[in-house]
Amino acid sequence: MMDERTGGCMCGAVRFTAQLTRKTYGACHCDMCRRWTGSALLAISVADDNIRWTGTGSIKVLHSSAWAMRAWCDGCGSGLYYKFTDGPHTANHEIPIGLFDNADGLVMESEIYIDQKPDAFAYAGSATRYTRAETLALIGMSASPEE
Amino acid sequence: MNSRTGECLCGAVRLELSQLRSDVHACHCENCRRQTGSCTISVMAPHDAISIRGAEYITTFASSAWATRSFCSRCGSSLWYRLTKPDPVTAEYYVSAGVLDDVSDLLLTQEIYVDRKPAGWAFAGEHERLTGDEFEAKYAAGGQG
Repeated sequence: MMDERTGGCMCGAVRFTAQLTRKTYGACHCDMCRRWTGSALLAISVADDNIRWTGTGSIKVLHSSAWAMRAWCDGCGSGLYYKFTDGPHTANHEIPIGLFDNADGLVMESEIYIDQKPDAFAYAGSATRYTRAETLALIGMSASPEE
Repeated sequence: MNSRTGECLCGAVRLELSQLRSDVHACHCENCRRQTGSCTISVMAPHDAISIRGAEYITTFASSAWATRSFCSRCGSSLWYRLTKPDPVTAEYYVSAGVLDDVSDLLLTQEIYVDRKPAGWAFAGEHERLTGDEFEAKYAAGGQG
């Protein structure tokens, strides 16, 4: 069953409407997500066809590795999405949980690159945790110098 | 107190920090939530204890009448949060912990605006947790910035 939710960046220049087909999301602790967000990237997969953006003139993108890109609002710096550009998952946007106006009912179910998580903090709960090697196997990607 | 280096995801902005405290703070206010996708996790450095390279890549956004947030314009990495009152020059830098090259030996000691955090995730551990009202009362803060 589709679950329609709205969201947007801090300054409001970029907004979206997403149709969610799942209630669960993951946290990524890889070094790149750590530097990008300041901690980890908490994001939910949304099929490309299920998300509509407004304010796209404010969206900037960076191809941050050989198989992924990241987007943010150039007005306020809010991270907008992570997207695979190669491999089996290119038809989705990974949308940061914090962008949703209402994230009620959405639950963290996994943590990837757990071996790169800083010791300073840990998430509570029983999310399944995957090391970098386990993550690469899980997402069907081969090792690359930078993820 | 110690010294650490750091850089954004793309490396355009590099930081050298001294007098860095080892305690880490998390803010769940709506601005921090939307900017980072979860919450801001920061370490505090005095204004004269930070050296910045690549300043031409930094965009600073005024997120309230009393605070700014800076990010790398080339990769979107969150860099720091600063108050602009009473004095924007001497205000501390609340540096995003994740930009540090060495993130070892830091510890989360406080969460604020916990009442704004989505219920679907939480930090583990015993540390101070303040609601927005409790935080604003304790520090005479003017609200979410």
